Amino acid sequence: MRLEKCWFCSSTVYPGHGIQFVRNDAKIPNDTDLDMIEFEFCYACCLIVFVVENCSIIVFVCVCNVKDECNVLSLAGYVFRFCRSKCHKNFKMKRNPRKVKWTKAYRRLNGKDMTQDSTFEFERKRNRPERYDRNLAENTLKAIKKIDKIRVAREERHHSQRMSGNRSKDSKEAAVELEQSIHMIKAPLVLAQDKSRTLPKLQVKVSQPQAEKNQPMEE
Amino acid sequence: MLSPPVDMACLNVWFKILQQQRTFIQMRTILKVVDNSGAKKVMCIQSLKGKKGARLGDTIVASVKEAMPNGKVKKGKVVYGVVVRAAMQRGRCDGSEVKFDDNAVVLVDKQGQPIGTRVFGPVPHELRKKKHVKILTLAEHIA
Repeated sequence: MRLEKCWFCSSTVYPGHGIQFVRNDAKIPNDTDLDMIEFEFCYACCLIVFVVENCSIIVFVCVCNVKDECNVLSLAGYVFRFCRSKCHKNFKMKRNPRKVKWTKAYRRLNGKDMTQDSTFEFERKRNRPERYDRNLAENTLKAIKKIDKIRVAREERHHSQRMSGNRSKDSKEAAVELEQSIHMIKAPLVLAQDKSRTLPKLQVKVSQPQAEKNQPMEE
Repeated sequence: MLSPPVDMACLNVWFKILQQQRTFIQMRTILKVVDNSGAKKVMCIQSLKGKKGARLGDTIVASVKEAMPNGKVKKGKVVYGVVVRAAMQRGRCDGSEVKFDDNAVVLVDKQGQPIGTRVFGPVPHELRKKKHVKILTLAEHIA
């Protein structure tokens, strides 16, 4: 069983979920070719990228040019997988996942999420089956937790860095709003009578529009 | 070797096909023949399974509507065929669904052996369950 990525939102498609659409030109290299190919999932543009060494086949193209090795090869047919009908419908509506805000493709392209991180390396698509080894399985299970912890921490850091500039901006805006629209809370008449209720005057610079010459209205 | 970058524009042809409501392969459905038997297009005249019609992997009886001038199969003949691609989605054994671009058929004889020697385009792995292993071995890509 393989956990695939949704073509539209790049969430994981678990077995038994979603729908897959096989386009007519779908083709996959045969086994001997497969040994020479490495599959990679480009997180910036959310396409599967095949890194081919010295062979003239295939394949799918990464457009983002974030990675150096993502050279344009040639276009192969494609099997589109969707995690749910929402993604499938969006595909049918010709929407571009890079322009739809809730997809991973958009978030990565616009710097909302981490794009390059060593923890993503573990999620690579590997085409060589692994022989069962009890120790290896045990270690893998341990590693999953650890890697997940690291990834979450890094994501949090990325988020806090992204939001770091917001606090001072918010407080500035709040101060301006309080100054300009205090009459929403207290009637101006009350404020005029009782000076203690007013805020101390803040100096706010307002760009003065230049006085226009009185032009006769056009008829 | 270089191809234009992948974007939504090159997918437009497929979207047109996708937007239709797809249904069973029933009487008078025209199907593409994706082998080298000589027939190009067939019309379904009977489904051998199911009341509503045939789906992916089912066998149909069809009449040849278009054929190559010197192929094994002539125009107007009644033939058997296995539906190897269907635009209507079909549930898979794990509960997910699969659908294809078009309705396509591979012509077989009454025993289920393919008439042609080649099969073009992707075919579903469900054919193994239906005992059409020969078609699977001939196929370019198994989806």
